[in-house]
Amino acid sequence: MTINSITFLSLVRREVARFTKVAIQTIFAPLISTGLYLIIFSYSFQNREVAGYGVPYISFIVPGLIMMSLIQNSFANTSSSLIGAKYNGIIIDFLLAPFSYIELSLGFMIGGMVRGLLVATVTYLVSIYFYGGAIAHPFLALFFAILVSSIFSLFGIIAGLWAEKFDHVSIFSNFFITPLTFLSGVFYSVKGLPGIWSEVSLFNPVFYMVDAVRFAFIGQSDMSPYFSALVIFSLAVFLLVIVTYLFKIGYKVKS
Amino acid sequence: MVYSDRLRDIYGGDFVTTAIKIRDINKTYGELQALDDVNLDIKKGEFFGLLGPNGAGKSTLIGILGGLVKKDSGNVTVLGKDIIKNYRETKKSLGIVPQEITFDPYFTVRETLEIHSGYFGIKDNDQKIDELLNALSLSDKAEIGPRQLSGGMKRRLLIAKALVHDPEIIVLDEPTAGVDVELRNSLWEYVINLNNQGKTIILTTHYLEEAEALCDRIAIMNKGKIVKVDTKENLINSIDKKLIKIQFADSVQGLEDELQEINFDLNKDKREIEIETAKQDLDKILKKINRLNLDIVDMNIESAKLEDVFIKLTSLGGDDN
Ligand SMILES: Nc1ncnc2c1ncn2[C@@H]1O[C@H](COP(=O)(O)OP(=O)(O)OP(=O)(O)O)[C@@H](O)[C@H]1O
Ligand SMILES: [Mg+2]
Repeated sequence: MTINSITFLSLVRREVARFTKVAIQTIFAPLISTGLYLIIFSYSFQNREVAGYGVPYISFIVPGLIMMSLIQNSFANTSSSLIGAKYNGIIIDFLLAPFSYIELSLGFMIGGMVRGLLVATVTYLVSIYFYGGAIAHPFLALFFAILVSSIFSLFGIIAGLWAEKFDHVSIFSNFFITPLTFLSGVFYSVKGLPGIWSEVSLFNPVFYMVDAVRFAFIGQSDMSPYFSALVIFSLAVFLLVIVTYLFKIGYKVKS
Repeated sequence: MVYSDRLRDIYGGDFVTTAIKIRDINKTYGELQALDDVNLDIKKGEFFGLLGPNGAGKSTLIGILGGLVKKDSGNVTVLGKDIIKNYRETKKSLGIVPQEITFDPYFTVRETLEIHSGYFGIKDNDQKIDELLNALSLSDKAEIGPRQLSGGMKRRLLIAKALVHDPEIIVLDEPTAGVDVELRNSLWEYVINLNNQGKTIILTTHYLEEAEALCDRIAIMNKGKIVKVDTKENLINSIDKKLIKIQFADSVQGLEDELQEINFDLNKDKREIEIETAKQDLDKILKKINRLNLDIVDMNIESAKLEDVFIKLTSLGGDDN
């Protein structure tokens, strides 16, 4: 496990520069869609209550919406960076340069995290207007946000390496990311789901992420935050190992 | 090179004088044997040519060197280091200009070179970057995006990228395809200069005159095999061929009869002749022509060219192996 700081930081810098150069598309566009959710939910469900949670509905969904921005943008950054690099051929720059495999994993991952956390932070700032902005455990919120963005950045790397066309990336987001996110309790409490559905949700890793962040925001959650933290942390480590292995074998990039 | 001479004295070994050592490399793509038991040694400081027809396996071999292609078997060392075990070191020693043109659309020419320097662990590389931009006539394009570059300019950017980290071994996979004559010359001037500074140069090209003019030693590949490795002089001398071109003052009579059983080509107005022959027959033929007492305006005798060797050794010419 070798890391050369200049080499590694150059990759991070490249990844961050790449998305900031097209900020309209990578930062502002996602903000608009989250902003619309906030407007719609805060006005349509003004008087709704969530069973078992003594907070206004808007306070309940804000952590979920922030998570959604975080997840989607972390994933979008790494997946589009890699499929783009494969498409225009510059993927070979990463192979010809003296990157260790862990540097490649962490370099791309951090690039995705920066974008995810940036969009999530701005989403939070916007949400202050709608719910006041209170966070019960701010450091915990940051800790979970970092972990979750790392997970979806890593997931995006896998998707980007696997994909042979830009379309393939959207298969990943349409068939995995979006359903798992929408069914994770962003908009409702999983406890309140009828019958078997609340148990099925326990197999959805995104549920633990949303639930843990909700705990950090409002001090209440469906699961124990410690258990969620364990699930999330294990998943992050697992994905990091997988991604590093994929870089090592040159999965779909070396012939 | 004083340092490496001293090391050689101490160790008597060849690891410092061998830039690249390739042993028993095989690579298949499905049914296709792209590389077939390739062995090759390239010495430090050499200007080495890797020639062969399309599909011979040149780029595949270079890909293995740079870690773009996975070999099936065999091993490769770069300056004595294994390319798998010590890949970070070997990648720093290599500057590979790939055959395919690629570019990162997000960054300007200068940004591309800065990022690339960073990948190789070099901070603040402005001096080298300016030198390269200058040598490759890209200075006035430094601040624009690669989409706005012409094809030849993109290739020059590719060359600059491969050189930002001042590599010991420079591998150029068809660097001049699509580059105009003037810039080609300035590129070669720069590369020859690097070679004079002790850098090892490996070149593939389909312009055989280019290889003939530049390379010290040449390997000729065909269908995944190295069919011949030798110095340029030995390769050319291995072909016993002389081409005599004579121009006469008037159209000649009786020459055909005199030159029976000799391979020649007389033009329509019978004032120019080209005779292909072996070295030993040169004297005999010239005497025969002399006998006719013709008025000769001009005469030229050419030796074999690298192209002749190439044709002989690859499938383009008759069956030689
Ligand atoms: N990724 C790949 N998948 C399948 N076959 C490949 C791949 N890359 C190369 N080949 C095949 O391997 C053989 C050698 O190709 P290579 O690119 O090394 O040739 P080359 O000598 O560089 O030719 P050229 O002068 O055209 O550049 C060719 O038959 C080619 O079709
Ligand atoms: Mg080639």
